Amino acid sequence: MIRLVTLDAYDPKVIDRLCKVLYTAFGVGCEHAGDMSVPSGLSEPYDAQALLESLPSPRAYADDKILYLTSRKLKPRSLLSGDVPSNGFANQNGPRALVTSAAVKDPEAGLKQIARHAMHQLGHTWELHHCLDPRCAMYPPWTLNYEAGDTFFDTFCRDKSEQKIRLAKS
Amino acid sequence: MAETPPQPLTLAVGDRVVYPNQGVCRVTSVESKEVAGQTLTFVTMKREEDGAVVMVPEAKVRAIGLRKVAGRADVDRVFSFLRSDSDKANLDWKQRARTNVERMSQGGLMGLAEVVKGLQVLSELRPLPTKERELYDNARHLLVAELAASLNIAEVDAEDSVDVVLFPPGRERPKRTAEEFRTGAEEDGIELGEDLLELGGEMELGGEAEPEEAEAEAEPEEAAEPAAKGKAAGKPRAEKKAPAEKKHAAEKKAPEKKSAAKKPAATKKPATKKPAAKAAAKKPAAKPGKKK
Repeated sequence: MIRLVTLDAYDPKVIDRLCKVLYTAFGVGCEHAGDMSVPSGLSEPYDAQALLESLPSPRAYADDKILYLTSRKLKPRSLLSGDVPSNGFANQNGPRALVTSAAVKDPEAGLKQIARHAMHQLGHTWELHHCLDPRCAMYPPWTLNYEAGDTFFDTFCRDKSEQKIRLAKS
Repeated sequence: MAETPPQPLTLAVGDRVVYPNQGVCRVTSVESKEVAGQTLTFVTMKREEDGAVVMVPEAKVRAIGLRKVAGRADVDRVFSFLRSDSDKANLDWKQRARTNVERMSQGGLMGLAEVVKGLQVLSELRPLPTKERELYDNARHLLVAELAASLNIAEVDAEDSVDVVLFPPGRERPKRTAEEFRTGAEEDGIELGEDLLELGGEMELGGEAEPEEAEAEAEPEEAAEPAAKGKAAGKPRAEKKAPAEKKHAAEKKAPEKKSAAKKPAATKKPATKKPAAKAAAKKPAAKPGKKK
């Protein structure tokens, strides 16, 4: 089950549509688990990892994945080999993921873009690595034209996520 | 670690080691056990990823390819290799498979990086077949896990560090052409399969039906390779494939291919050649008979 937690106000239609996209992508239920506020002591732009770690968890089962959605900006991530813009964060095989819609002015119009990033981060929580197919949501998100892509997993990533989800359930 | 001269690997409890094709493990005990009347020293390890326990006789540690987690110098070498633009994909699937298996088990951290980069470069020409896509994912998983263990960072950071190098931000992925690969292959004396020449680098990367398609391409290649590498063996194959599986991608090409495939076949089968060949074959058989 994917539990969507909003950190800012969103139109319920947007949340509904996002839940539908995630349900279609992963084949597991997705529901809005409520709103939360960003913990104090952190300032915008947020360090994605620090923000994710500081957020409280909603009530969930062990194999549930929690997706936090915010409209605030995230800091670019500094990595060993350079900096990359950040639209979200999730630990490999972790229970939680964070996604921002800061790059989208109108969340309803830019839902596809938000959903693609959400799929990417949730994919990491199900141990998916980056993909070679530019059309797949698991393609590295800092690349050109990533955001213009569709909410789609290629065959390999879809099979792998299904397998991981099945294993997690059993 | 395979590059460094072999030294006896002394393992102690708490050491982090890499078990080839399995990942990063931590040594939990080194103890002697009696097995079939022999006293053997076993190293017990726990895989960090999932806690699976592995026991290896100490005498076989080297043979298995067990090694300590790569150091900072190895990591730096890996990143400079990934940054370099020198890698060419091997188009001979047999050689590629053999070297990749070797690299995975014996090549150390650099071997994993070579597999990842090699297959990534190949994917810029055509989608990877399912087996190689799996291999790519395994190699990437092991590479990322070892880098994370070596640098003491999260796996997600290690993966992104690798991918920033492989997929630089704001840059399009290069599209390789068959020509580019052909020159590399010819230098090594490798013949290009017809499948690859047909693609001509025009095919788009990725796609839902790709792995099946690519696998289907790979299989006839496997079957045909031992039989004949010559053009005669390749052309009927091209004839069969064009109508069946490349409806959308090669619809325009198909009629050309068909005619191109059929014409030489028609010209190569002149009625005059066969009798000549038959006569040549019959003559030596008849002569010894006469002599006798």
